[in-house]
Amino acid sequence: MNFALNEEQTEIRDSIIRFARQELSVSADEANGFPHAAWRKCAEMQLMALPFPEEYGGCGADFLTTVVATQAFGYACKDAGLVHAVCTQILCGMQINSFGSEELKHRYLPSLVRGEKIFAQAITEAGSGSDALGMRTRAELAEGGYLLNGTKIFITNGPVADVVLVFAVTNPEVSRISGISCLVVEKGMSGFTQCAPMAKMGLDTLQNGELVFADCPVPAENLVGSAGQGAILFNESMEWERCLLPAAHLGTLERIFETSVAYAKGRSAFGQPISKFQAVSSKIVEMKMALELGRLMLYKVATTKDQHKRAALEASIVKLYISEALKKTCLDAVQIHGGYGYMKEYEVERDLRDSIAATIYSGTSEMQQNIISRFIGL
Amino acid sequence: MKVVVLVNAVPDTAATPEIAPDGRSVLTEQLEFVLDPYDEYAVEEAVRLKESLGAEVIAVSIGGDVARKALRCAFAMGVESGVLVRLPGGMELTGRGRSFCLLPTLRELSPDLILAGKQTVDSDDAQVPERVAELLDFVHASAVSQLTIGEGARLLVNREIEGGHLVIDLPLPAVVTTEKGINIPRYPALPQVLKAKSKPLHEVAPPLDVDLTAGWQVESVTLQHTARKQQIFSGDIITGVQQLAELLRQDA
Repeated sequence: MNFALNEEQTEIRDSIIRFARQELSVSADEANGFPHAAWRKCAEMQLMALPFPEEYGGCGADFLTTVVATQAFGYACKDAGLVHAVCTQILCGMQINSFGSEELKHRYLPSLVRGEKIFAQAITEAGSGSDALGMRTRAELAEGGYLLNGTKIFITNGPVADVVLVFAVTNPEVSRISGISCLVVEKGMSGFTQCAPMAKMGLDTLQNGELVFADCPVPAENLVGSAGQGAILFNESMEWERCLLPAAHLGTLERIFETSVAYAKGRSAFGQPISKFQAVSSKIVEMKMALELGRLMLYKVATTKDQHKRAALEASIVKLYISEALKKTCLDAVQIHGGYGYMKEYEVERDLRDSIAATIYSGTSEMQQNIISRFIGL
Repeated sequence: MKVVVLVNAVPDTAATPEIAPDGRSVLTEQLEFVLDPYDEYAVEEAVRLKESLGAEVIAVSIGGDVARKALRCAFAMGVESGVLVRLPGGMELTGRGRSFCLLPTLRELSPDLILAGKQTVDSDDAQVPERVAELLDFVHASAVSQLTIGEGARLLVNREIEGGHLVIDLPLPAVVTTEKGINIPRYPALPQVLKAKSKPLHEVAPPLDVDLTAGWQVESVTLQHTARKQQIFSGDIITGVQQLAELLRQDA
């Protein structure tokens, strides 16, 4: 077993860290609304192009390299909202690339990889979050395609999206597993309304909001995959998502770990650096362990996905472990920084607010535990 | 037109170096190395000549694996090939030694223009391009902030001097070192970083018939710790601001 990254991955990582530190240094709290300028820079850097075939303008990188790049991005970019928005873009593209028709790929992937169009995926509804497949948004067969009706909520990139992958019930007669489909809806289609972004506890630059579909006609060729394939698409995309988002989180965790080490070594109390106090150092030791252990499992999931194998169990473990570790790391970092940690100036409080969402989106920690226990056979 | 750009890797300026136990060198193992920021200007300028005039651009460096990294950074920015004069592991050379070792490669490449950063940011060495110019018998202009290729194998360069500009007309072949402000170096997009790996990088051995002894040695290296003054002005705000302004005028 070789636990080292290859030269290409190291260079991608270093390039992203340098790019993010120098070009995306604006404090996220100062930003107002969707960070369009930073988004453009990320697009020029071709961050969003990484895992896609070159024929659509992508870089042709494998998933592990994409994960390493995302980790570097989460490490060096302090705007977790921007990082999440970019991840969402990549994840939408992966669904189109893996399940979409040739026509859909040619229509959407080039503008997705160039960041010219912003993509979102709409699954969650007011009445179904964890129970995602219990959705009620309906896509009825109509002339030339489908008629979409329903409301999605909390949709990441939703308020600013040009293209949305909407999951809806196409056949309520069959089981939930085979009655859901994924449709591409574009901004400006009749009957499609994007509501204003919702105010949140953290991830200030990330735009989340309600999407309303009222007799919205969707052409049949906008179906991603085949009719009734929605749940399969959903399950596959969750494996990618539960690896890519934790990659960004692990990067953030590493940054906070380094910030905490530097502060604990530089801050003195009772005549010695506070890092010499065991109550402080043990918190940092926990951070380091989470970083090292999380990384092993993260790369395992990414490598498994590159081998085109299922990794639902491992992805749930990674998602649960890293998101909870990030939340704890942020909380401990604030505590290590004391009064300064509670002040906005030191920036760790923002990471804490951002981190709370990590244990909720993409399946709550409780849902991940359910999934893991189901795999164990409990 | 053939352009050679000399590149050098230096420790990331954000990194904190540690002094080796012998007190005469810096521990490099833990340091991140990057393409020297002044060399970045030179690479950017060379790549622009490639894009505007179709110039052939070759990056040249000297050293070990770290120098290789500098070449690959140049590749990611758009340079198409490179030559590394590979020094045996751990071998350190002075500017004089480096210039002599680069010479056979530069003679063989026979460029019209050699570009390089005006100095390295780590040791503030500013010797190799000038020494190379002398050894090759090329004309030379240092710390250039603007470069234009003129008619009939000539070059117009702009140097910022105290209180003004100096415009120099040079014949080619020439050596020009780049100053901050000549351009804004590009960030290589990720596909270029990926492509950099497959660009041709030739390694050559240094010449054997050169006396590489420095004739001098480093006595000691120390890190400078700047203590903060932490001066607080008491009294009313008007006086305080006046005192602060006075202090800034005198000491800053």
